[in-house]
Amino acid sequence: MAGSALRRLMAEYKQLTLNPPEGIIAGPINEENFFEWEALITGPEGTCFEGGVFPAKLIFPPDYPLSPPKMQFTCEMFHPNIYADGRVCISILHAPGDDPMGYESSAERWSPVQSVEKILLSVVSMLAEPNDESGANVDAAKMWREDRLEFERIAQKLVKKTLGIPI
Amino acid sequence: MPMVFLDRLPVPSLRAYTSISIAILSCSIYYAAQIVKDPGWRNNHPNSLVAAVGNATDNNASAIVDSRTLGVHMRELFACMVQEPGCIWTLINMAYCVLILVGKSIQKLVFGELRVSERQHLKDKFWNFVFYKFIFVFGVLNVQYMDEVVLWCAWFTALGFLSLLSQLCKDRFEYLSFSPTTPGWSHVRLLGLLTAILALSSFMLLMCVAAGFFFVSFNTFAFMAAECILLGVRTIHVMLRYAIHLYDTRGAGNTSPRSWDKRGPLAYYTELTSELTILAVDFLHHVHMLLWSNIFLSMASLVICMQLRYLFHEIQRRITKHRNYLAVLSHMEQNYPMASQEELAENSDNCAICWEKMETARKLPCGHLFHNSCLQSWLEQDTSCPTCRLALSMQANHRENAPEIPSESPTPARRNDNHFFHFDGSRYVSWLPSFSVEVTHNRIRGDISALAHTNSQLDAMARQVQQLFPYYPRNVILEDLRGTRSIEITIENILDSRLLPPHHVIEEPEAEPATTTQTTTAHILPIPLVQDTLDPRLDIPAADSGEEPSNLGGRFSKSSMERERILQRRKEHMLLTARRKYFERHPHHNESDTSLDVSSPVNLNNVTPRISLSHN
Repeated sequence: MAGSALRRLMAEYKQLTLNPPEGIIAGPINEENFFEWEALITGPEGTCFEGGVFPAKLIFPPDYPLSPPKMQFTCEMFHPNIYADGRVCISILHAPGDDPMGYESSAERWSPVQSVEKILLSVVSMLAEPNDESGANVDAAKMWREDRLEFERIAQKLVKKTLGIPI
Repeated sequence: MPMVFLDRLPVPSLRAYTSISIAILSCSIYYAAQIVKDPGWRNNHPNSLVAAVGNATDNNASAIVDSRTLGVHMRELFACMVQEPGCIWTLINMAYCVLILVGKSIQKLVFGELRVSERQHLKDKFWNFVFYKFIFVFGVLNVQYMDEVVLWCAWFTALGFLSLLSQLCKDRFEYLSFSPTTPGWSHVRLLGLLTAILALSSFMLLMCVAAGFFFVSFNTFAFMAAECILLGVRTIHVMLRYAIHLYDTRGAGNTSPRSWDKRGPLAYYTELTSELTILAVDFLHHVHMLLWSNIFLSMASLVICMQLRYLFHEIQRRITKHRNYLAVLSHMEQNYPMASQEELAENSDNCAICWEKMETARKLPCGHLFHNSCLQSWLEQDTSCPTCRLALSMQANHRENAPEIPSESPTPARRNDNHFFHFDGSRYVSWLPSFSVEVTHNRIRGDISALAHTNSQLDAMARQVQQLFPYYPRNVILEDLRGTRSIEITIENILDSRLLPPHHVIEEPEAEPATTTQTTTAHILPIPLVQDTLDPRLDIPAADSGEEPSNLGGRFSKSSMERERILQRRKEHMLLTARRKYFERHPHHNESDTSLDVSSPVNLNNVTPRISLSHN
């Protein structure tokens, strides 16, 4: 059913281009493969990720929107809800059936009414307010709880790195 | 596995093979020509099968010594080559060489460069084919004579060639369906090839019908026909899917909502019938092999039994899935009415699943409207309203229909379905073991949760594998895990590079220069300039002069090239604005930046293709 997935992705791409949410850009890297997108997310104002532009890759399944896409940051990240390899761990990206951590209610999980825009907005709010209970990156979660200053210092270093500014 | 071993054999390049084949062929032609020079060669020839015939025509031949025309000469040359054992092998070799060349040119003409996954599929399929046909010829048919072997080889070569091409078409179609902007002629070429394959496979079917009537036994005919039918059905399946897909994407411009509603079931039933036909024919084919060939208790029967088991499970799985489909369908029809025109008018939104306009819709108890087919495919995998998450009980209709059973919770109801069988052997004879068997009949909900459960299990396994190999995308790992069901085997597959990541990961080094050429078209200072400036603040105003952000957003071009370019520019603009803002906010930032870090991602193009994982 790649046809309906393709049309839905095209519609989302169009909407994201015409009415882009503040600080978010997303679209297919190469239109030969419409199922692989790149997104740029600006770090939310007033947080330690402020000012950074973080690139991430979105991979859509052929039965999108019935299954959620996968999202992975392609830059270095240090965040309680982002795995060391950049994969993002938020409930909206989890299919209703699977529950890796065993605590999310299905109300927060993926459903076909979600969209790329909603995912990216959730990621922005995740950057602003980490959920230190889901330990995708245990070190980061621990630091977030215990040594906020050091966490902020690392985050600022990452921000500079994404902007190409020497540290 | 024999395939791995065969993979490592040194295979000569196509060019070398062709030239060797041609050289050998010309040698044997020369040799045959030398023999045929003598008009009475048929007599002298020891191997000649037609020696008797030669004797009979001997007088005539000697009478007209060298008045043989060129045509007759050629015919004799050919006859000689067919009789001579050395020559016939070179002829066969040449035939294969020509076949490979034909295959290569078809590939060049229709597919162009093959993608990594396509090549992998092709290789797997090829060795599988060779392996099974070897077992078939020597294990099942138990062929004794050389000429029979050669005939079967010829048959399977043609068949294998066509089925490999059909597999390639399928892979390519699946790839093309990922893009909205495939040029029309590549569809035309692919469909043309598929039609040719279909025509050839029906021709082969006709051939084996003819052979069945005149030459071979019924068994042989059935074996041959089954393979042709399989090939034909597979090809038709791909063509139908292709046609539906094309209709779907081409018709997207002038949306005809009526066709949309019918399209879902249509696509589903084509898929179902062709898959079931393929599985059933394959199953019968294997049963036939097992029963009519006296091969019980041999290696071949073992292999065939394994294959039968696999096919049986596939059929079972497919039928379970179809039952689920039908159950969801009837449930929807019983419980969720079609929305009335007023409701549709009131709800001006598009369908939340496919984002397209709704002319007809089904209404859930919570009042949300969806397309019939969209809702159907969602309910097959989950039982809640996509919008508000209202849990939709699939057993609701049972309860409504039978209100006299008061509030029975689903768990005991399910327990009633289970059959429990206990055998207490010690009651009869002291040494008999005792055992119990429980047969569970799960309802649809059970099926769905079981499916979801295996999915989450697979996901967890994939995550473990991915922790070891972060470069491999999850879907590739999942795909492999679905087959292997074991983390260890998948890891082994990755280590032996039997499992290849999709080509964008592999081709990364080539991807980078391609993107840098794009930058030159944009009005952005290229990377070297940034490196030359001592103060990076200087380049930023220059970079986004003349580029208004409103220019970049707010427009959705019809051409994919332009869309890509605009997106690229918007990304660059965003990065540069972010950098400028950063410097405005931290005016005293660079005290010590006389040396700019070259490896730091200055330009977007450097950031994007790299998956920076090793930093942690």
